[in-house]
Amino acid sequence: MHRQSGVSTVGAVLLAGLAATLATLLMMDWMFVDVQTPEPESIHIMVPFPLLAGRVAAGIVPDDVFRDAEMPPEVLQQREVVLTALRELADTPDATLVRVDADDAIVNISKTGDDLLVSVDADDARVRCKIPVDGILDALEGWDWQTADPDLIFDILGSASMGELVTVEAEDGTRVAIKMW
Amino acid sequence: MKSTLTAVLAAMLIVALPIAASDQTRWLNVHVTEAEEGANVEIHLPLQLVLAVINSVDVDNFHAGKVDLEISDADIDWPQLLAAVKDSPDGEFVKVDADDARVRVSKSAGTLYVHVEENDDNAIVDVSLPMAVIDGLDIDENNQIDIAALLSTFDHLPNGDLVTVNSDEATVRVWVE
Repeated sequence: MHRQSGVSTVGAVLLAGLAATLATLLMMDWMFVDVQTPEPESIHIMVPFPLLAGRVAAGIVPDDVFRDAEMPPEVLQQREVVLTALRELADTPDATLVRVDADDAIVNISKTGDDLLVSVDADDARVRCKIPVDGILDALEGWDWQTADPDLIFDILGSASMGELVTVEAEDGTRVAIKMW
Repeated sequence: MKSTLTAVLAAMLIVALPIAASDQTRWLNVHVTEAEEGANVEIHLPLQLVLAVINSVDVDNFHAGKVDLEISDADIDWPQLLAAVKDSPDGEFVKVDADDARVRVSKSAGTLYVHVEENDDNAIVDVSLPMAVIDGLDIDENNQIDIAALLSTFDHLPNGDLVTVNSDEATVRVWVE
């Protein structure tokens, strides 16, 4: 009997499965923790972390654990101030909002697009932070402000635009970056 | 040729007006320069943001945009006092010359000026309050000042300094634009 050449059914299913898995992985939100230590024993570690995995892991943790981690009552009291400030900030045009020039550090807080950019240039470290205003607002509006909620972190991270979210460059050359993809 | 030029100018005006109208954000600016520490702080916030936050603050003596002046023992008829300031003609109202300070309070062209020179700190404080601000100054019978109402008046002020402080220790400038 003559066997027909070409892709077998099993092969096609495997290929389709692989393609689907790859597509799913690409579509997921990923967080990368990138750590680079200085010379001469320079180490570069990049840890990819799918946010979905974090959500699943947080979902497995018993509710009691988070219910016990109650926030101080002062946090709830500040709810309206924080949400109001964020709502207004979301509508604020792009501008430098705060700048502090001191002997040992320069701090800059500015609004660019949907992000609040915080930069600190200190004698011993350089920090850059990109805060997604809309994402934080959405996450905080859905939070009860009374108990610790890990989903809050994942919601904020998920709303961040692609690129570096936080970078810290220490005086000794160590660089830590949290990147979203 | 003339009509073409007019049409072009009209078109430019039609395009420019909405752009100008859309950029109506008023900004509250505070600059502080501290001489001793060499620190310089610049704050540039939309007035609307400041107002919204002030209206939401709920702490000890600061609720819903109102601050308790904590001068319960003083019996001051604030509305009458403020009306008197507003209705009075231009001139110098207060003049104090003491060893440690000079104070001048005057009104000119719709603006109330407070000028203080303090000898101890070598400080000069200048406050300019347009009458629109005085109009918005609301202090009730419980000696609570409505900061939110006061700040709302800034929205209609022309660009310019409200407070300047120059001393050996620091310089402060507060203005709207």
